[in-house]
Amino acid sequence: MAVETEYVIETKDLVKIYKTGKVKAVDGLNLRIKKGEIYALIGANGSGKTTSLNMISGALFPTSGEIKVFGYEVPKSRRLITNYIGVAPQDYSIYEDMSLEENVRFFSLIYGMSKTEFEPRFVELLKILRLEEKRKTQVKNLSGGMKRRTSIACSLIHSPKIVFFDEATVGVDPILRTFFWEYFRSLKNEGVTLVITSHVMDEAERADRIGLMRAGKLIAEGSPEELKRKHDASTIEEIFIKLSEGEIIDD
Amino acid sequence: MIKKKKDEFKSKNLNFSMKRTLAIAFKTINQLRRDRRTIALLSVVPIVVMLIFGLAFTGEVKNVPILVDNQDNLYTHPFPPIALHLGPNITDTLLNDTSVDVSFGDYFNGIDAVEKGDYYAAVYIPANFSEQVVKMLTGDNETVKMFVYIDATKPTIRASILGAIHDALDSALGEKGIKVVQILAHDRAEFTGLDVGIPSVIAFVIIFLLLIVGLITIVREKIQGTQDRLYSTPLRSSERLLGYVIGILLIAFLMIALVLIFGVFVFGAKVQGNVFLLIFAALLFGIAHVFMAVFLSNFAQNELQAIQFAPLTALPSMALGGMLVPIVSLPAWLQPVSYVVPLTYGINLFEGIMLKGWGFKELWLDFTVVAGMCLLFFVLAVLTVRSRMRD
Ligand SMILES: Nc1ncnc2c1ncn2[C@@H]1O[C@H](COP(=O)(O)OP(=O)(O)OP(=O)(O)O)[C@@H](O)[C@H]1O
Ligand SMILES: [Mg+2]
Repeated sequence: MAVETEYVIETKDLVKIYKTGKVKAVDGLNLRIKKGEIYALIGANGSGKTTSLNMISGALFPTSGEIKVFGYEVPKSRRLITNYIGVAPQDYSIYEDMSLEENVRFFSLIYGMSKTEFEPRFVELLKILRLEEKRKTQVKNLSGGMKRRTSIACSLIHSPKIVFFDEATVGVDPILRTFFWEYFRSLKNEGVTLVITSHVMDEAERADRIGLMRAGKLIAEGSPEELKRKHDASTIEEIFIKLSEGEIIDD
Repeated sequence: MIKKKKDEFKSKNLNFSMKRTLAIAFKTINQLRRDRRTIALLSVVPIVVMLIFGLAFTGEVKNVPILVDNQDNLYTHPFPPIALHLGPNITDTLLNDTSVDVSFGDYFNGIDAVEKGDYYAAVYIPANFSEQVVKMLTGDNETVKMFVYIDATKPTIRASILGAIHDALDSALGEKGIKVVQILAHDRAEFTGLDVGIPSVIAFVIIFLLLIVGLITIVREKIQGTQDRLYSTPLRSSERLLGYVIGILLIAFLMIALVLIFGVFVFGAKVQGNVFLLIFAALLFGIAHVFMAVFLSNFAQNELQAIQFAPLTALPSMALGGMLVPIVSLPAWLQPVSYVVPLTYGINLFEGIMLKGWGFKELWLDFTVVAGMCLLFFVLAVLTVRSRMRD
C-alpha cells in the first residue's frame, strides 16, 4: 500500500546539449511527478522547457541522465509508453492541408484505434474543445486558437494517461481557457497526469505543483501556496520575475 | 503487482503494423491529391519531356534543302560490253528521300548558295562518273569521285545529307558495287526516334517525379513539426518509410501509366518485352528513388530547396546516364562516372525490356545494381529518420 505515492515521471541529472549548439539546453534536471498531478513547468524563453518535455516523451535523446516514465526507462523502452502518453507540441504540429477530422483520424489510426472506438471519442473531444462546427474544415482555414485546439484533440484522442501540453493554451481565449481547466481537473480526477508548460501565470497558479526553470535547471519547486509563502510573494508572477532575474525575457 | 503492470503495457500492438503503414500511405496520397500545383507539375513534366525527347532529339531531320548538279553521261564499255548511266538513278533516289529537299542547278552557284545559307549542300556528279565506276569494276581505275560542298556546322544535318547520298549510291549501284546488308538485331526490331526516346523518358520521369514528390512529402512533415510529433507515438521508422513508399509509388504509377499510354497510343511506341517485367523494373527503380528522397531530405530545410534538388540531380543524370549522348560516346575519363549515375541502369532496364525484348537473363546485372541501390538508400533513409532524435 506504500506504493500509492507512485511517481509516473522521474528524471535524474538529465542533461541535453544539442549537437548544433554549445549550451546546455537542459542542465541536470531532477523531476518527480506523481500520478494524477497537474504539474506546470514555467521559465523564461530558452530555459529548456520544450527540450525537457521532448526528452521525457521519448522524441529526443538525452545527452546524459536518466528518465523513467511509468517505471520504464526512456528512451530505451520508449515504445512501451507511447500508447499511454499524449503530446501537444509548442508549434501546432498538425497537417495544414487536411481537415480537422482527417488530422484527428490519422492520429487515431497511428494509435491503432478502430472506427468504432474513434467516433464517440472524437465527438466527445469536439464538444469539449468547442470545435463541433469545424469538423470538416481544412486546418489552414482555422484560426490560431482553433489550430491549437485541433492539436490538443490529436493528443487526447487515444485517452492517454499522461498528457504533455507545451504551451497548449497559447492563443486560446480566456473563456475557453477557463473551460479547459475544468476539463483538465476532470482528467486529473480520472487519474490522468498533466504536464504543462506555460507563460500565463494565472494558469500556473491553477496547477498542483510548479517547477520554475532557469538555464536548464530547476530553481524552485512546490505548490503555488508553498512557493508564495517561501518567497514572500503574493503572485507567481512576482516569484517568476524575481527568480528569472538576469534572464532575457523577450516574450 | 509490478509484473501485472508490465503485461498491461506490452499487450498493446507495438509490433510492425500494416494499419499504421497504410495510414501513412493514405495520408500521403491524400495530401498530394490536394496539392494542385504539384499535381500539375507531375502531369505536365512527363508529357513535355516526352515531346522534347521524342520529337526533337531523335536525330531525324527532314526536308534539308540541297542542290544537285548531275553531269553524268551514259558510258558504253567496248570489252567486256557494259553500258551504265548512274546519274539519273542517284537523283531519282534523292528526290524520293524525305530527309532532303532536292533542287537542280549549277554546282558553282550551289557553292555560293551554301555559303549564303540557302542550301546545306551542293552535290556534283561529274560527267565521267559512270565511266569511272565501270573502270573501277574492270580494274583500270581505283577510286570514283563525286563532290559534296557541305555545311558542317550542324552535325545532325550533315549526317542526314551524307546518309541520303549513301543510300542513293547504294541503290544506284545495287549488286554492281559494294552492298551493305543490314540484318536487324533483337528480332528485327526497328524503331523510330520516339520509341527510342520513351524508355529514357520513363527512367527520367521516375527519377524526377519521385525525387520531387518524396522530398516535398518529407520536408513538409519536417517543417510542420509532425515528424517530431510522430516520434512520441507508436509509429515505427519502418512503418513510416514503407508508408511513404506505398503512397508515393501509387502516385508514381499513375504518372508512369500516363507516360506509357500517351507514348503507346499517341506516339505509337512499342513494347517488345514482358510488360510485367517492365512494371517490376519500374517498381524497383522507383522504390530506390523514394528512399533516396528520404535521405536527401536531410539536406533541404524547406520546400523550395526540396524542389531545387530535382533538377540538380536530374540534369547531370541526363548528361551522364546515356539520355542525351550514349555512354560510349562520352569522353573516356567521364565514362566511369556514368556507372554511378542511377539513370544509367534505369535506361538499361527500360531499353532492354521495351526495345530489345530482353528478360531477366540478360538484365540481371542491372537489376542487381538497382536492388543494391534500394538497399543502400533504405539504410541511409532509416538512419536519417532516426538521427533526427539525436540532434
Ligand atoms: N533543435 C535545437 N538545436 C539547437 N539548439 C536548440 C534546439 N532547440 C532548442 N535549442 C536551444 O536550447 C535551449 C532551450 O530551448 P527550449 O526550446 O527547450 O526552451 P523553452 O524553455 O521551451 O523556450 P520557450 O519558452 O521559448 O518555448 C535554447 O537555448 C535554445 O536555443
Ligand atoms: Mg518551448
